[in-house]
Amino acid sequence: MSAVWRASRAAVRRRRLQTFVIGLVVLLSTASIVVALALLDASSAPFDRAFAERRGAHVVATYDAAAVTDAQLAGHRPDVTAIAGPFRQATVDTSRDGNVPRLQGRPLTVVGRADPGGPVDTVDIWHGRWVTGPGEVVLNEAPPAAGYQARFRPEDDRVTLADGTTFTVVGRGYSISRTADAWVAPDRIAALRPTTVQMLYRFADAGTTSEVDGHVAALRTGLPPDALVATQSHLVVKETIAAGPGAYVPFLVVFGVLGLIVAVLIVGNVVSGAVVSGYRHIGVLKAMGFTPRQVVAVYLAMVSVPAVVGCVLGTVLGDLGARPLLRSAFLGLGFGAEVGVAPWIDVAALVGAPAVVLLAALVPALRAYRLSAAEAISAGSAPRPGRALRVQRALGGIRLPRAVSLGLGLPFARPARTALTMAAVVLGVVTVTFATGMSETVRRYSDLTDLKDTPIAVRPLRPDGGQPVTQRSVPEVEQLLRSVPGTTRVAGGLDLEVSIVGDREPATVYFVRGDVPAMGFADQIVTGRWLRAPDEVVAPSTVLHDHGLAVGDRATVRFGARERSVTVVGEIMSTAPGWPRMVAGWDTFERLAPNYRILPHEMYYALAVAPGTDTGRYLAAIRTADPGLDVWDNGGSNSYTTAVVALSTVLTLLLGLVAALGVFNTVVLNTRDRRRDLGMLKSIGMTPRQVVVMMVTSMAALGVVGGLLGVPLGMLAHRVVVPITADAANLSLAKALLQVWQPGGLALLAGAGLAITVLGALLPARSAARLTIAEVLHNE
Amino acid sequence: MTTDATVVLLDGVRKEYGDTTALDGVSLSIRAGEAVAVMGPSGCGKSTLLNMIAGLDRPTAGTVVVQGEDLGRKNETGLALFRRHRIGMIFQFFNLLDDLPALDNVALAAQLTGSKAGPARQRALELLDELGIADRRNAYPAALSGGERQRVAVARALMNRPALLLADEPTGALDSRAGEQVMDLLLDLNQIGQTLLIVTHDERLATRCASRVVELADGRIARERTLEKA
Ligand SMILES: Nc1ncnc2c1ncn2[C@@H]1O[C@H](COP(=O)(O)OP(=O)(O)OP(=O)(O)O)[C@@H](O)[C@H]1O
Ligand SMILES: [Mg+2]
Repeated sequence: MSAVWRASRAAVRRRRLQTFVIGLVVLLSTASIVVALALLDASSAPFDRAFAERRGAHVVATYDAAAVTDAQLAGHRPDVTAIAGPFRQATVDTSRDGNVPRLQGRPLTVVGRADPGGPVDTVDIWHGRWVTGPGEVVLNEAPPAAGYQARFRPEDDRVTLADGTTFTVVGRGYSISRTADAWVAPDRIAALRPTTVQMLYRFADAGTTSEVDGHVAALRTGLPPDALVATQSHLVVKETIAAGPGAYVPFLVVFGVLGLIVAVLIVGNVVSGAVVSGYRHIGVLKAMGFTPRQVVAVYLAMVSVPAVVGCVLGTVLGDLGARPLLRSAFLGLGFGAEVGVAPWIDVAALVGAPAVVLLAALVPALRAYRLSAAEAISAGSAPRPGRALRVQRALGGIRLPRAVSLGLGLPFARPARTALTMAAVVLGVVTVTFATGMSETVRRYSDLTDLKDTPIAVRPLRPDGGQPVTQRSVPEVEQLLRSVPGTTRVAGGLDLEVSIVGDREPATVYFVRGDVPAMGFADQIVTGRWLRAPDEVVAPSTVLHDHGLAVGDRATVRFGARERSVTVVGEIMSTAPGWPRMVAGWDTFERLAPNYRILPHEMYYALAVAPGTDTGRYLAAIRTADPGLDVWDNGGSNSYTTAVVALSTVLTLLLGLVAALGVFNTVVLNTRDRRRDLGMLKSIGMTPRQVVVMMVTSMAALGVVGGLLGVPLGMLAHRVVVPITADAANLSLAKALLQVWQPGGLALLAGAGLAITVLGALLPARSAARLTIAEVLHNE
Repeated sequence: MTTDATVVLLDGVRKEYGDTTALDGVSLSIRAGEAVAVMGPSGCGKSTLLNMIAGLDRPTAGTVVVQGEDLGRKNETGLALFRRHRIGMIFQFFNLLDDLPALDNVALAAQLTGSKAGPARQRALELLDELGIADRRNAYPAALSGGERQRVAVARALMNRPALLLADEPTGALDSRAGEQVMDLLLDLNQIGQTLLIVTHDERLATRCASRVVELADGRIARERTLEKA
């Protein structure tokens, strides 16, 4: 083994650039993999972490209060590790014209609970306090995301029930187990006539549906039949909560996998280059009596040394880099728990990355294994001239400087090396094209969800809040908003519940007016087109599905006594505008409901402002202009999407760097191999300048061809992979999110491939050109 | 037919590269202590013959037996072990490892056979000293002259006390003075009993070093002559 070690150590020491590049490629790839894995893990784990911290209920069970006694419930604890309850539970209806739109006419699950703590389901009181006295209620709401302020209007502090009873909201809490919509003090629940009792359970093992089902079955037995009315599994709750950030998870997986594939291919390419350019080296080793296995060992050791170093440093770098990104991402998701990089990720990177590198190195190393000694020792110095000569003659017929035409012919002299270089260039350009495209798609998607284009929202105040009420009509409000300095666009919208003839489900249609098409909504078309004429609607696929409609279908819509036949002209993304519902133009509204008297507070306005506008002052200006208008800032990025966008940018940069290094290394190696040719050409009278031009031309030719192949391939990959990824995330992507390419940007990408090849050729070519002929020939 | 003294025995060795027949039925035996020179015009198959004996390549037909071992029955690893222990090779263009200084190039050969680094370097240094280039021991091949490189290559070839020393135009890349020195070296070696097979174009080298000259033409042995030792 010592001879092997000796030979590989010497080889590593004398191939500094190659060793450095392998190390750096592994370092950057490992770092990107750690970052991607950490984000993936954190994206799926915050619920689990918060769930553990708040001692969430694995099963929330609702019992019939008439069928079972409290004592029976408290004593019935098959296999549970913690139990809370019994809590009285009532379902009440809220008033249809209550203050809080979210609660209007909705049934509300109210639970009587003495305190927010306890052995199961700690309620996080993030605003106000817990209930103590009569007429008090705490609402279950997720805390605002980081970057958002909780905004309460005075009228939000009252909840009115259908029977007219009013409660004062004294606090807002968040139950990760979703055990209730609202809580009141235990001695106050009786007034709501509770018919059920709530029990909360934790179990040692409840990770799978079948385990949870098993526990539920155990709860059922031993109690009077029909006592257990309903159960809710934590797994179901998790699914709903994780859906938001979950949209990005498949995209991050693709980035992580891409990083892995690119790392493998580039390391494979770099090692292949080492083997191809090491033919003579292999031959000498074999002639000396190194066994084929020992030769493989030498080549693997040459790669593993930098790979291991790069992998360790890359893990550290990725770990340190991921922490701040993750912390800022998850701060605002309602999961207070500290997020970090799980130890398994570091372990996976430390074990996985070198394994992958060795695997990548194995293929070319096996070539070295099979190479016959006699062939290897002679092939090192024998380019095959036949084809090159033919190409050279053909090029000679074209009017080009001799150095350029010679350079263009060079790639044909050593097809294997040319193929490797070309593969590196194409792979690099494809990777960078694809990654920039995908990160642009992610950015645009996050802009949509963050309402980047319409950051300011206005809704006139309701008349019943003791608040000032606007005296302006709809057009007047719109005009006022337009006149505030800084406003660039105003869109108004009105929700109206209509019925569709032949469909029992009512539908909400959002009628829009103003600058809606210009405000980016028209870009959210998935299929079909945006509204152009009266009696047209667009809707997200879920809504279309619910009503059995498809793009191109006609439907008759009724409001009051009037009917209109409308056409579905397009499918839009479910992000805009607002929650998923049908969208139609104002002219359609006027035809359908010409006599409808719009109350000011039924209108919602979305505003776009000029860049650089001071939001605080702008909001104040609107409030001053009409105190009857409630205005708030809807924009501002959600910290999670900001982090995802930052991450995809970072990953794209890392991948770009890795690809660039791969190309650079291949070109440098390739150029170095030709130093002997250079010496020969100089000896027959080429000037150093001509030598450099020739070498750079030969590589630039590969750069141009690689760019021309790589850019369309990268675009194709984006076209194919992104929709599949979006599908996995249950997103329909608008065409605008896929059309991310600009000619300038593409030219830049192709140009970058060319620039790297030129640079990679220029450095060694210049140093070779400076060598004296004697030096070059002496060294062979 | 094999006697104890026979080191190399070729029987009907053919080698084809596609349409080219490099060797066309060569039979040859070399006894221990002999110095044989192979001569002939360019492309007649000299290097090919040497590669067959060194186990660097396999014949298309025929057998190669070296020190009683049939190379045709060995796999690649077996051939490597055979070369390591039995064969020393010297090439026209030296074929040193560019990554290692002179001394380590020589010592590496012994380390391959399991010698410890210390003793290996010791013996390597003795050999370099005998060849008169001990002062260049720490130079990398790129910094050595052709003659110096060839002497390092000779030292490396001798490191494991090979049964057979094969040299393919050992003076081909050297000027006459350096060539002369390498010739003297080979002659001295033969005189202390080293079996030698030298491929050369150089009649003078052949007559000075060899006891027998084998002339190849178009892959066949055209003539053999025995020389009176000078
Ligand atoms: N690897 C190979 N592939 C194809 N043909 C080969 C190969 N090696 C040698 N040949 C051919 O076999 C024949 C003999 O080659 P060899 O190298 O043995 O000649 P040589 O006598 O050593 O010549 P020189 O004196 O020029 O070194 C030549 O025609 C050569 O072209
Ligand atoms: Mg030859």
